[in-house]
Amino acid sequence: MQMFLRGGLAALLLVLAAIPALSHHGWAWTADGFFELEGVIAEIYIGNPHATLDVDVEGETWRVELAPPSRTIAAGFTEDVAKKGDEVTAIGHRSRDSNERRMKAVRLVIGGKTYDVYPDMAPPA
Amino acid sequence: MEFFDAIEQIGPVRLLKASFYAYPIVNALHIAAIGALLTSVVLLDLRLLGAFAALPKAEFVSTFRRIAVLAFAVAALTGLTLFSVRASEYATMPVFLLKMGLIAAALANFLGFVALQRGRSDGEVTAAGLRAAALASIVLWSSVLLCGRFIGFV
Repeated sequence: MQMFLRGGLAALLLVLAAIPALSHHGWAWTADGFFELEGVIAEIYIGNPHATLDVDVEGETWRVELAPPSRTIAAGFTEDVAKKGDEVTAIGHRSRDSNERRMKAVRLVIGGKTYDVYPDMAPPA
Repeated sequence: MEFFDAIEQIGPVRLLKASFYAYPIVNALHIAAIGALLTSVVLLDLRLLGAFAALPKAEFVSTFRRIAVLAFAVAALTGLTLFSVRASEYATMPVFLLKMGLIAAALANFLGFVALQRGRSDGEVTAAGLRAAALASIVLWSSVLLCGRFIGFV
């Protein structure tokens, strides 16, 4: 009996330890209000676990997180529509940590074209 | 860095990078392997520390050790696969490097314990050494888990 209790306790601890894992890839780390970033694309990554852009804003590099690749590509944003050096406007939510140059975008505007990578969360155009 | 860039360019790795099903499946296998590894390691260490005393120690330890080794092999293989997709990015992450260091320390702890055990004719390590190795094992593998989790956040 005692063995089962101890085993159960150990199992419970393992489950509790795993709970923070469920909150990943969400929006928990981002601030509530919309945030807009304008800069020049320094790096494009479209792939798993999710796409990212590195954007140069007056000499500082920002990391813009996008959706998983399938969703990003479905929004029309592929490696063919943008390249390093292009001007980009990213609209979304920045990190709650104001010292961190990181945001998660719901919309990108490049060369006059709009890509809503999270259409259901994007502001009215 | 060129080495890591080259990894990202391997054919199957490029497919995995853009895949819809394969990447989450590999990810799920990695998590499953980590679950099996942590569970078997913690149960095995708790047995060495005196828990589950009703079960025969030698059989308990050898059974869970075999599961742990197998789980580690799967975790390492799937982990390497996940790493390959964005190798150059992960390779520069302090928390990723810390995780690799902790894995090395946990493996050294394991191998040291096995060597110590083999070196003694009765197969028993001193109580203090055994407790220290078991506690270090729990702390190290839990830290590996935590670092792995943080890779997704930093």
